[in-house]
Amino acid sequence: MDITFTEEQEMLRKSAGDFLTAECPKTKARELEEDEKGYSPELWQKMAGLGWMGLAIPEEYEGMGMTFQDLTVLLEAMGNNVLPGPFSCTVVGGAFAIIEAGTAEQKKDLLPRIANGEAILTTALLEPGSTCYDASGVNLKATAQGDNFVLSGTKVFVEMANVADYMICAARTKEGSSDEDGISLFIVDAKAPGISCEVIPTIAFDKLCEVRFENVAVPKKNMLGEMDKGWPIMQSIMQKGAIAKSAESVGGMQASVDMTVAYCKDRVQYDRPIGAFQALQHIMADMWIITQTSKYLVYQAAWMESEGLPCAMEVAMAKAYVNENYKWVTERAVSLHGGIGTSREHDTGLYYRRAKAADTAFGDTDFQRELVAKKIGLIS
Amino acid sequence: MDFKLTDEHVKLRKEFFNVCEELAKKRPEGFTGLEGCYDTDEGWAYHLDCAKVFAKRGWLTLGWPEEYGGQGTIMDKVFMSEATGYYDVPGVDIFGVDMLAPTLHATASQEIKREFLPSIASGERMWCELWSEPNAGSDLAALSTSAVRQGDEYVINGQKIWSTGAHRAHWAFALVRTDPNADRKQKGITFLLFDMKTPGVTVNPILYMDGGHLYNEVFLDDVRVPVKNVVGEENQGWGVTQTLAAFERSNLGAIMGMHRQIEELVNYCNETKVKGEPLAKNPLIRSRLAKAACDLWAAHALAYRIVDAQSRNEMAAFDASAVKVFSGELQARMAQLGTEILGPYGQVKHSRWALFEGFFEKWYQQSFILNVAMGTNEIQRNIISWYGLGLPRMK
Repeated sequence: MDITFTEEQEMLRKSAGDFLTAECPKTKARELEEDEKGYSPELWQKMAGLGWMGLAIPEEYEGMGMTFQDLTVLLEAMGNNVLPGPFSCTVVGGAFAIIEAGTAEQKKDLLPRIANGEAILTTALLEPGSTCYDASGVNLKATAQGDNFVLSGTKVFVEMANVADYMICAARTKEGSSDEDGISLFIVDAKAPGISCEVIPTIAFDKLCEVRFENVAVPKKNMLGEMDKGWPIMQSIMQKGAIAKSAESVGGMQASVDMTVAYCKDRVQYDRPIGAFQALQHIMADMWIITQTSKYLVYQAAWMESEGLPCAMEVAMAKAYVNENYKWVTERAVSLHGGIGTSREHDTGLYYRRAKAADTAFGDTDFQRELVAKKIGLIS
Repeated sequence: MDFKLTDEHVKLRKEFFNVCEELAKKRPEGFTGLEGCYDTDEGWAYHLDCAKVFAKRGWLTLGWPEEYGGQGTIMDKVFMSEATGYYDVPGVDIFGVDMLAPTLHATASQEIKREFLPSIASGERMWCELWSEPNAGSDLAALSTSAVRQGDEYVINGQKIWSTGAHRAHWAFALVRTDPNADRKQKGITFLLFDMKTPGVTVNPILYMDGGHLYNEVFLDDVRVPVKNVVGEENQGWGVTQTLAAFERSNLGAIMGMHRQIEELVNYCNETKVKGEPLAKNPLIRSRLAKAACDLWAAHALAYRIVDAQSRNEMAAFDASAVKVFSGELQARMAQLGTEILGPYGQVKHSRWALFEGFFEKWYQQSFILNVAMGTNEIQRNIISWYGLGLPRMK
């Protein structure tokens, strides 16, 4: 047992924090919310130059060959600084799915381009009418026609589909014996004829899109994993996504605590810094405690995932716990800042809104708790 | 970052669990927690019996220096508290083994150590703490029990309160004021040891809200204590109390106890049918138990981080405050959840109507022990605010 960051991880943390503070100040994060693309291609290239997209991609595919846990260290720094853009959906959703389930050809084609910042990927799972991340919601049809599958249907809340080059899309290829059976995954060229994309206005302006597929032809060789057996791959993507989102969230929690403590030391009322009042001190102490517990729960889940240990329960616990507590900590942060905290120009609201967005991604609290309920042995 | 226990640790941990599992079979009915040790004669006898079993294995001296019969590291101590916590087994005197022994190792003279450590190691002498006073609780340094030196003795007069188990303990470690004129209240306090049978010591019960006898008030009237029983230096007792670094602070005992509670509630919900359906299928129950499990695993992850930090001497006091506050308050919520899941039976005391021998009814009340003792959780939040977050102290 050694529950500290390795020297390498510490360096990554520090350098990522420094880079993001300089290159993506919060004013920039807010600007990007109003931006049509929702990310900065210039910054994206600089990040690629640092090797971030390839951090956990094997060296043979031009990556750095570091671990999933290392990647979560970077994601925490990104969450701490609210970096908008397609990093997580490209790297966690895209690259890892291909590393785990891709053919040699798919790997050779896509992984180096991801590592070099040349390809943006995302995952298309949810559909209108489905509110949770289970297999029953997958109804988009894929029908075999010659060398292609033809996809028809609609996906919603597809992250950064407006700028994506490829989407990993879950489609139904047969009516199976269960909801999980008969789902196949396809690597779809996001610019293929028949695809139309519209950004859904959301609380964090994070470019979640509605994507319509009208007879979109996808070459058979672009199937990811086996025919009809795509659901376990999607589950694996969702599990990693849940950890990644939780890692970003604990970064945001720490930023919210830091901001609030700094403000309360600085803001003077009744002739003293308001941070001297115990009514506020104890709230901040609780914010810090909850951030601590959240972090180590997430670190443990990330470590297990990274080690390849079964951790569906631990991940669901981390996501459920962080969902609730990121919202709570940011709500307290806005409150303790008073009027200024509620303004568009202030950073606390940025985190507060992100906490809501993070909550629904990869399964909300009720969804995660039901997973936990099963794992702790409650019969269903 | 690596959460993995070594194979050797896994094996060792298992041994602690095996022994405690056996001891748990001899548990008097309705026994639980600290009140279980001190309230009834059966509970006290069970506490002493378990202590003997542990002593034989050298488990009351975990982490001690070898010359005093010590073995193992803080990790052993952690596994031990996990095992006793999970099985709700007593035998480790929190005052003698957990508090006094590390304090003596850190601050006491050879003579004191040679005289007092062996009977802690053998589990024969049980201790109590005489610190709080009616007007010195959270503000402990305001204590006023006086000790006036007369030759080779101190003559002690005053009143102590909230003294857990003082009616059963053999010996006491006390804080007394030896210099009433010191310029700071923390100065002029002395830490000393005496036999609870010393003439002038009167112990009166303060019953807990559930009627159990856990706490006492202790009157000290011309109690004569040899000067050689001082730990550290005269007037330097406050410093002696601050040697917390050596204490095991993870709260993993309480945390493992809650793991057991969740397991039992899960079993209960699986087996109990309401209108022909297991309680476990009720979505509200599922959600609430799952939430409790998430909170518990969060506490557990942080506790391991505290252990890890402590084992490399990198733990700050406010780190330990975080896990104390969180796990203590979680125990209160867990007890509430337990009583609520049991419906009207949640309020039933140990009796033929009771479920789990009245465990949750008892902890609905006893969880305050975790949150008031050893520095209230409000004081812990001050510690975090001032020393962890650097917030200003109101003058």
